[in-house]
Amino acid sequence: MRVIVGGVAYPDLCDYSIGMEVQERLSGRQAPANVVVEDLSYNPIAVIQRLEDEPPDDRFERAVFVSAVKRGDRPAGTVSCFRWDGILPSDDEVQRAITEAVTGIIRLDNTLVIARYFRALPNEVVVVEVEPETHEFGAALSPAVAAQVDRVCDLVWSFATDDSAVAALPVGSLALATAPAFRFG
Amino acid sequence: MCFKNLPVEFDAGGKPFLRNGVGDPYATATATPPEGPRQLTSENIQELLKRNGHIKSLDFDPVTRVAGALAFHTVADFENRKVLEARSVATLFRGYEVIMVGRDPRDAIYITSRACGVCGGVHSVCSALATEMAIGCCPPPMGVLIRNLALALEFLYDHPLHLHLLAGPDYSQVIVEPTNPSLYERAKVTEAHHTAIHGYRTIADLMTDLNPLTGRLYVEALHMTRVAREAYVLICGKYPHPQTIVPGGMSSTINLTVMNEMFVRLSQFFDYSKKLALIWDDITDFFYDANPEYKKVGARRANMIDTGIFDHPDAYDATYESANDWGNRRWATPGAIVEGKLVTTDLKTINIGLEEFVEHSFYEEWTGDGQQQHFATDPSGNPLSPYHPWNKVTRPRPQGTNWKEKYTWDTTPRWDRQSMEAGAYARLWNTAVARKMPESPFMESTGHSLKMRVPAGALPETELEWHVPEVWNAFERNRARAYCQAFTTLIAFEQWRAAMDRLKDGDSRTSTKFEIPKRGTQQGVGFWGAGRGYLTHHLTLDRGAVANYQIVTPSSWNASPTDRWGQPGPYEEAVLNTPLLEETNDPAKFRGLDVLRAIRSFDPCMPCTTHIQSEGGLITREVNTCACGLDD
Repeated sequence: MRVIVGGVAYPDLCDYSIGMEVQERLSGRQAPANVVVEDLSYNPIAVIQRLEDEPPDDRFERAVFVSAVKRGDRPAGTVSCFRWDGILPSDDEVQRAITEAVTGIIRLDNTLVIARYFRALPNEVVVVEVEPETHEFGAALSPAVAAQVDRVCDLVWSFATDDSAVAALPVGSLALATAPAFRFG
Repeated sequence: MCFKNLPVEFDAGGKPFLRNGVGDPYATATATPPEGPRQLTSENIQELLKRNGHIKSLDFDPVTRVAGALAFHTVADFENRKVLEARSVATLFRGYEVIMVGRDPRDAIYITSRACGVCGGVHSVCSALATEMAIGCCPPPMGVLIRNLALALEFLYDHPLHLHLLAGPDYSQVIVEPTNPSLYERAKVTEAHHTAIHGYRTIADLMTDLNPLTGRLYVEALHMTRVAREAYVLICGKYPHPQTIVPGGMSSTINLTVMNEMFVRLSQFFDYSKKLALIWDDITDFFYDANPEYKKVGARRANMIDTGIFDHPDAYDATYESANDWGNRRWATPGAIVEGKLVTTDLKTINIGLEEFVEHSFYEEWTGDGQQQHFATDPSGNPLSPYHPWNKVTRPRPQGTNWKEKYTWDTTPRWDRQSMEAGAYARLWNTAVARKMPESPFMESTGHSLKMRVPAGALPETELEWHVPEVWNAFERNRARAYCQAFTTLIAFEQWRAAMDRLKDGDSRTSTKFEIPKRGTQQGVGFWGAGRGYLTHHLTLDRGAVANYQIVTPSSWNASPTDRWGQPGPYEEAVLNTPLLEETNDPAKFRGLDVLRAIRSFDPCMPCTTHIQSEGGLITREVNTCACGLDD
């Protein structure tokens, strides 16, 4: 089974950079031949095109994504792992995600929704989310998130290399971003 | 004589000077901008809303299918099918000017690139140009050519993205059929004029393929963004934030392999450009024929501004003193167009006519209270307004949130105190009219049109001709942008050919060494363009560090609020002129399609960041301004 591990993040945005931090650390490990570790922190349309470039008869069968995801209802540094249920939002929301994608927004839910919509994702998608605390320009992770990096690396590695670890995961949904809530009076 | 409102005249040698006898030449009371649509007063609006059931507020919040954060407030009269009030609200603060202060100017290339997630390269280059001017450093010819090529590729990414992913769906079957059923019925029996090029028999066929997500034109545009991106990264390393732009040129390695790889991709735009132009010809002609009222959608005075782009390697010397000369030799000619007439193509005249106001924006004024104006003149000794970017200070202060006071994070750029719009179309218009573009076997500026001979691909060689339109509206903006795809393709091809000639002669040098001066004060300005038009970066260096940095983007012009003289900003004016043509009398079913067509035709891009800088110099918190509670 071919597996791709992707970090989705912004550089130098404190906790929102953790996807990149984990990807960089894992890139230093000796990966089995079937595991590819990459930075997927770019335009989701280009991520799709990257995935579609794989040979048709040898596509990835599992993708493991790691990213900071603000859900807001859990303590900073909380790590959540699940197999994505793959449920897509409405077509209007998919369109919104594409608009954001082509105009420069990089976010895990956009990447997954768009890649699923265009059938570029493998069936098995594992999401490793870390609840961020700080949303600021800078290289440092907050203490709560920094304390989880080693654990997140090990978790991601296990999902890339151990089928039983993935099988034990619950099925979960994405935290879909909603449109900005500016409202006229 | 090109200024009507600013008290600036020109001597016999063409040098500008302040008119004699004007006590306070830049007093804001002295301007008398032309007549045009005006916002109603808040009292009028309240009265109308109370007394008439058919007059209602219609808000678009956020405006979808645009880049960044834009909200739009209207009051519409559904009985008379017109818009009475239109307010453009940029809802996020963009603080790059603040972030840049105190930094090494080389940082600007990388930091300001982040102002946009679509076209970071245009900011990088604009920043490099400003730095080159400030420090006195000029790229070698190959550096100029490769920089032009890179940016042309960025536009080849950008234009299809707007035409078929953002604006295109407004003309698609899934939008037109439910909102204007009779129009769609007509489209089913209307044959397209250019079937031989684009392959669509009827207009309805074309509309179906403009459908979002599933339409072939939508999906094809996604694919073509890849082609442009692949070519771009060959010389820029990374998209959208290039890694090879430096003051004095580019750090890319150019060889035959790179150039061949480039051509494989560039040549794919020959046929695509033909299709794009003729698809938008057919769409425009269909709507005009079906209902001439569509000519009023997004209509406004043809007031445009552009700084030109794509330097000639034999002309560009990076100096302000020679800016008129090298500007006039650009592939896309700079220019200011007022009421449809080109009034200047000189970059320095464009520059001294520029002012930025914050009357209705969430910033503090920086003039008055006896404050010293930094620069009374530009580096050539021409008069400069205290409201000019070289004199501006960015002081964010969200306050007084209502339509009378302040309602947007955008500022109000004006040229000669007139409301101007920016866009790829201004680039096309200036170049077509000015007849100053370099000689080319592929392009000809006729004074009233631009002829483009697009080489054969799978389709035969095709001559396209964009004509200066008789009316200026949403359809013409889109049509011109579509023709701009061909224009840009041919400019890219010309750069590629010239670069190949140099390579054959053994010239592959793309950059010049430079040093940042550690003493004194230096000024620079990058006159460049984004896919969406006009772009300037004004820079002041003091002892090697950035003392002031000011960015004016195309959407700064287009999304600007109503100014202190009552002139609406371009989006606002275009919406005030837009008739409501949906086939429904029920306001509840009304989608505001024509209002959205008007806004989207400008290709809004609200360069946004939510980060600001604290007094301690660190980015510390998010700021956005909710439009809650905006009162009339």
